[in-house]
Amino acid sequence: MTARGSALSNRPDSVVSSVQNDVVSALRAVDDPEYPGVSIVDLGLVEDVRVDGERVEVDLIPTFSGCPALAFIAEDVARAIEAVTGVGGVIVAFVPEPVWTPDRISADGRRRIAAGFGVGVQLGPKPPACPHCGAPAALRETALFGPVRCRSIHHCDACGEAVEMIR
Amino acid sequence: MARSWSSIGEFETFLDEGGVVEKGDAMPDEYRDAVFRFIELHANSELMGGLTERDWIPKAPGLRRKMAVLAKTQDEIGHAHLLYMVAADLGVKTRDEMLTDLFAGNGRFHNVFHYQAVTWADQVAIAYLVDAAALISQQAVFKNCSYGPYKRILRRIVAEEGFHMRHGEEMLLVFAEGTEIQRSMFQEALDRWWWPTLHMFGPPSKDNDVLLRWHIKSERNEDLRHKFVQKYAPLCTGYGFTPPDPELHRDEETGKWVTGEIDWEPLKATFANLGPDSARRVGDAARHWSDTGWVRAALEAIAA
Repeated sequence: MTARGSALSNRPDSVVSSVQNDVVSALRAVDDPEYPGVSIVDLGLVEDVRVDGERVEVDLIPTFSGCPALAFIAEDVARAIEAVTGVGGVIVAFVPEPVWTPDRISADGRRRIAAGFGVGVQLGPKPPACPHCGAPAALRETALFGPVRCRSIHHCDACGEAVEMIR
Repeated sequence: MARSWSSIGEFETFLDEGGVVEKGDAMPDEYRDAVFRFIELHANSELMGGLTERDWIPKAPGLRRKMAVLAKTQDEIGHAHLLYMVAADLGVKTRDEMLTDLFAGNGRFHNVFHYQAVTWADQVAIAYLVDAAALISQQAVFKNCSYGPYKRILRRIVAEEGFHMRHGEEMLLVFAEGTEIQRSMFQEALDRWWWPTLHMFGPPSKDNDVLLRWHIKSERNEDLRHKFVQKYAPLCTGYGFTPPDPELHRDEETGKWVTGEIDWEPLKATFANLGPDSARRVGDAARHWSDTGWVRAALEAIAA
């Protein structure tokens, strides 16, 4: 995530950083609708935040272009930022690039998804460990698509758990 | 790792103390059967629900609603996949056996999938009422369920159902704030779906219900239904709609909403797969399964 404030050069730096910081903190408190307790920042959905005077523009990227949660996420983001002191207007946009990949999920986000939902994250070609028991290379894919299009379903042959992987 | 218990009494003490049973444990056969039947019913219901939802993809008004219906279909089929896996792991029936029973009309699935959704407003009533009822039931199971693998699947299902409810609420507002035609469409849908939604919680729990005794469920059917009525009776009437129950009222003294007497006959008919739309639904599901056989064969060929 980048944070630009070039249009704010005529303002004291403390004001610039304060609004920018408050906006970023507000975004950290916006959870993904399908993972309550995991923020959209940790999922890597926030691409850019621009503060220009009282106006804030946020660029988000979807995990999948057909994701049905997009409108709700945009609504939640706008509401959270409008509540920040010093903000007069918000524009939330979904941008087509860059394309979201699972490695955009932060380490903290991965921990929360595994602990809270038993969902693992597929990173690179290496076979992932079971998010339930931690066994390496024991997952057998049983369905290419899970309850959401960004997850596949696996059976762990070590612990027998039905798990899902974000990929 | 696997645990065993020398008697049912010892097993029940373990459960009463909040013990969680895992797949490899030597659980009593009666417990295994009860938990299996419960998960099989849930898996079948997700599959039947997903197939019903799918019928509305081409008919949903607008791209955003289509995306939502698509996502719900995906969600429910995904949940069915997970639940059939957890059910099959109990070793009572294989997934193929469960599906064969379902398509032959011998499987059980929730009563609400034994009725026809006539208009788009029915889909809205289902998303607003039925999904909310399902969430209330599932949250209660999730809280204290004694079978670990199922409990862990439920935490994801509950998170996703919460998201469906947001769609339901948003769609309801469109009808509530809409034209006279839209309002009467939703009223007619409410007339069709109010009682089946109340039935969905099941008949009043018996005191010897093993699902409660073994902490597979943690709340009685009538208590969950009561919870639903307390929230949704005032919401429906608040939006100016009238649930089809002339005796529904708020008790002055207790402040609680009270329904009229519930007729259980329609629910019993669905238990026997003899509901108004059961035969068509089962037939459609069976036909869908055979029509998509080539996809499974192709995937297996690629994997081999």
